Parts: sequence; structure tokens; C-alpha cells
Amino acid sequence: MSALTVRALTVPARLDDVSFTLRLRTLTAVVGPNGSGKSTLLQAAAGLLPASGDVELQGRPLPRIAVIDRARCLAWVPQEASFQFAFSVREVVAQGRYMWADDDCGVDDALASFDLRDLADRPVTRLSGGERQRVSLARAVATGAGLQLWDEPVAQLDVRHALEVLALARRLANGGAALLVSLHDLRMAHSFDRVLLLKRGRLVGDGRAEEVLTPAAIFEVFGVRARSEVSLQLELPDVRP
Amino acid sequence: MKRRLVTWLLVSLLPAAFLASLALGEVRLPLAEVAEALRGRGDPVAVTIVRDFRLPRSLVGAAVGAALAASGVVMQAFFRNALASPGLLGVSSGAALGAVTVLALGLGHALWTVPLAAIAGAFLATAAVVVLARRGAGTERLLLSGIALNALLDAGTAFLLSTNAGRLELSGQILFWLMGGLESRAAEHVIIGIPSIVLACVLLLPLGRDLNLISLGEQSAQSLGVDVRRVRWKLVALSTLLTALATSVAGVVGFVGLVVPHLLRLALGPDHRRLLPAAMMGGAALTLACDVATRLLPGGLRLGVVTAMVGGPFFLWMLRTLA
Repeated sequence: MSALTVRALTVPARLDDVSFTLRLRTLTAVVGPNGSGKSTLLQAAAGLLPASGDVELQGRPLPRIAVIDRARCLAWVPQEASFQFAFSVREVVAQGRYMWADDDCGVDDALASFDLRDLADRPVTRLSGGERQRVSLARAVATGAGLQLWDEPVAQLDVRHALEVLALARRLANGGAALLVSLHDLRMAHSFDRVLLLKRGRLVGDGRAEEVLTPAAIFEVFGVRARSEVSLQLELPDVRP
Repeated sequence: MKRRLVTWLLVSLLPAAFLASLALGEVRLPLAEVAEALRGRGDPVAVTIVRDFRLPRSLVGAAVGAALAASGVVMQAFFRNALASPGLLGVSSGAALGAVTVLALGLGHALWTVPLAAIAGAFLATAAVVVLARRGAGTERLLLSGIALNALLDAGTAFLLSTNAGRLELSGQILFWLMGGLESRAAEHVIIGIPSIVLACVLLLPLGRDLNLISLGEQSAQSLGVDVRRVRWKLVALSTLLTALATSVAGVVGFVGLVVPHLLRLALGPDHRRLLPAAMMGGAALTLACDVATRLLPGGLRLGVVTAMVGGPFFLWMLRTLA
């Protein structure tokens, strides 16, 4: 079954006639230069931005689904989480369970998954950008939603936490979820099942990374020359030290 | 531990302030006599003082404080800014201008005209702030909008005051609105103020969870299951209504809506499920305490003046630490 179907999604001056379908158990990346519409796409697909076109969540039109039911099956992580008030990390992650009558289920696992256990009592206002990003991700995962839309989740993370987040995304997909993740770093897109390439609000590529991110496409969209030699390969060790 | 201590402190402060408000004043009554008088027994003078003068005043004072503090909590979450409050954003001034306009037009004798005019004025002011300073707007923009709006509304009130300067009774009433106070509150103010404020507070209390999420911004709130369009109007309406009702029975009482939410957030954390009821209790206690101070301190101080003397320096301290 499709987790999310988007047809002719358009946001004036930002997103132009984008269509795709996300299947369960897949990890999909959205790439494109700054201002190409990655964040807009995620927000519009999550129903958080006025847009024309159709969005269907598990076969049902999104506007006809009550907001709380949407939240139970679709989680969205903003590119930059801003916190005005000094909630503790644990309180913020537990906000992901409000929609489930505040049952606190899975909050500890989410904290552990994002290496936040030691920070659980720290006010979110006193975290670094990368730490805040992990808190937002943990909250989205704690919702238990089967469709996860993450906006640049690794942009502010150090390499170790970035790789851990991608590994967790893979585990969620293997567990049955569908993930749509916007990425800055094209090299990371190669570990995804599918890549959507955006250019000035239009979808110009959709397929496996090696089909979409060809040197010609990269040159056309990003204006840079792609050479495939790998200078530094970074990966998580099999066993954590 | 700290939370429990603060909670107990609040729970004991409010009845203490209420009792002090019944016992203290020009005539000091021992607590035993206050208890007797409340039941209508004992010295008839004490019965009159306690039941006819101080009880309505204390009830109205507690309701006003709870309303203003709750309103401040909601505005701070809604505007995502710890410096938002009914006074600084001009909502109190809007309510006062509404009330003063009705008084100046000579329509102030009917029981409901003044509160209704205050509500209308407060909603107009809120609408203006919502338009001028979008939610999530920076402190600067929000406060500057508030300053501009306050200046405009206060100018309107001052205009009405100056055109009616010859009519002593009327200008006295107008001055009452401007400085805020609980003197000579009677049964009618209890009837206007208390049921509606209690109702608005009761409607607000279950929204703590929504407030937590709204304070993250609209998109985040919606993505976490808050029907923002519906909840937004409920929050704006209830917080404006609370300020308007408080202003309609006690005039402009500043800073309660700023100081109480902020201090309690420091003490209890930002979770609005705790903060809302705590602010209602704390606001009531602070207002009663300030009102007792107006009676005990020499020079005929007004409630709005005392809360401003407490709140002004506090606000400056907040600006230093927050902005």
C-alpha cells in the first residue's frame, strides 16, 4: 500500500506540479540546491502549508483526515526547531505522545535512539543546534507514525550522529515505515532506496540514486562537476566502542 | 522537590492572602472575628465590614488576579514570547478605553454596558496586535506594536478625560479605570466578574497541552495533532475575554499578567498544564496582597499603582535577562 500519494502539488512561486508516491518500507531522499523547494515540498505534503493539488495519506485525502489522526500517521521534523520556553528534553520528546492520550510510550526508546538519555533533564533552550535537531527527531519517532517527513535532519549533526540518524532511518524503513528525508549532502543520498531531485520547485529526477544523481544531472541542477572517486569514506563501526 | 515546594507555597499563599484581605484595613479584625462575621454573627459593624465591603472586594480581587495571570500565560505561549502580557500589548488599555467611552457617553449605569464595552475594546486591541505583530514575531516588533497601541488607546482615554474634566463625578470614574482598584466593589461587580471569569478559567484549563504545542509555532503544533485554526481562536478569545472582564470590574491593573506567569515558569517549568492553574492561584494571591498594601500603606495608593511599582522593576530585570 502507498503511504503517501502526492499529485500535482503546487505552491505558488515555490513548488510546481510535483507528483510522486511513497511506498512503505522505503527510504526516500529529496535533494536539490538551496531554494529548490525541499522544505516547501515536505510542509505541503504534511498539510502544513496551503497548496493546490492532491495529497493522500494511506489512500485517504489529507484534508478530510482530522488533524490529530494525521499526526498519528504522519510526523514532520522542521529544518530548524525553535524553542521559546525551557521545556526539558524529555518533556519535548513526550510531546510526541500527546496525540496518544499522553501515554509516554516509546519516549525512553526515542531518547536512547538519538543519544539523548544524558540530556533528558536539560532545558532545550540550552542545547546546541545539532542537539535540538536530535530532540525534534526523537519526538517525531516517538509518535510512532508510519510516515516520517524529515527536513534536513543531519544538516547540523556531527558525522557520528549523522550516520546514526541515517542508520536509524534505515531501521525504521525496514520495520515498515516510509521516510521522506531532505538532504543537503548528495553523497548521503546514495544509501537511500530512492532519490527525488528538485530544481526550482520542479521534480526533475525520481529513481534510484545512481540513476538520478548522474554527473550530467548534478552539473545541470547544482552547477558542479561530479567525480566519483571517494576521498574519505566514513561509516559506523559494527560494534560501538 | 522545588516544584512541590512552590505548589505548596501557592496553595497556602492564596488562602492566606484572602484572609488577610478580609482582616486587614482601616479596621483590623482578628481572624476569629472575621470567621464569626462571615457567618453573620458577632459585632454587627464587623459583619458589615467583612460581608458587605471586604468580601466582595476580596472575591473580585482574586478573580481579577487569576484572570490577568491566566491571560498573560496564554498570550506568552500564543505570541511565543515571555514578554507578552495583556498590559504591554495594549489589551488592557483597549478594555479601559471601551469602558471609559461608555461612561463618557453616560451609558454607564446599566449593569452590563461597561463590561460589554470593555470586552469590545479589548477584542479590537487584540485584533490590532495580531495584525501588527505576527505570532513568533521578535520581541522588538511585539513590544513596539504594544507601545504604539498603548499610546493610541491611552490618548483616546485621555481625550475623553479632558473633554469631561468639568464633570467631577465622571472624571473620577474615568480615573478609576486608568489606575485600577478594588475600592467599593459590591455585589454587582461580583455578579459581573466572578461567574464569567471562573467559566473562562475552567474552559482554559484543559488547553494546557495545546498551549505547550502552540508555543512551538503553528506548523509544529499542527504536525503534533493540534487543530491550530480552531484552538488559536479559542485561546485568543478566552485570553482577551479574561483581560476584558478583569478590566471591567477593576480598571487597568498592570504587570500581574507579566510577572506571575514569568516567575512561575521559572519555578515550575514551562509545562502549561501546571503553569495555568498555578498562575491563576499566584495571580489571585499577588493581586490580593497588593490590594492589602493599598489599604495599609499611607497616601491612598491605588491597586494599579502598587502592581506597577512591583512589576515595573521586575519588567526591567526581565528585559536585561531575556532580551
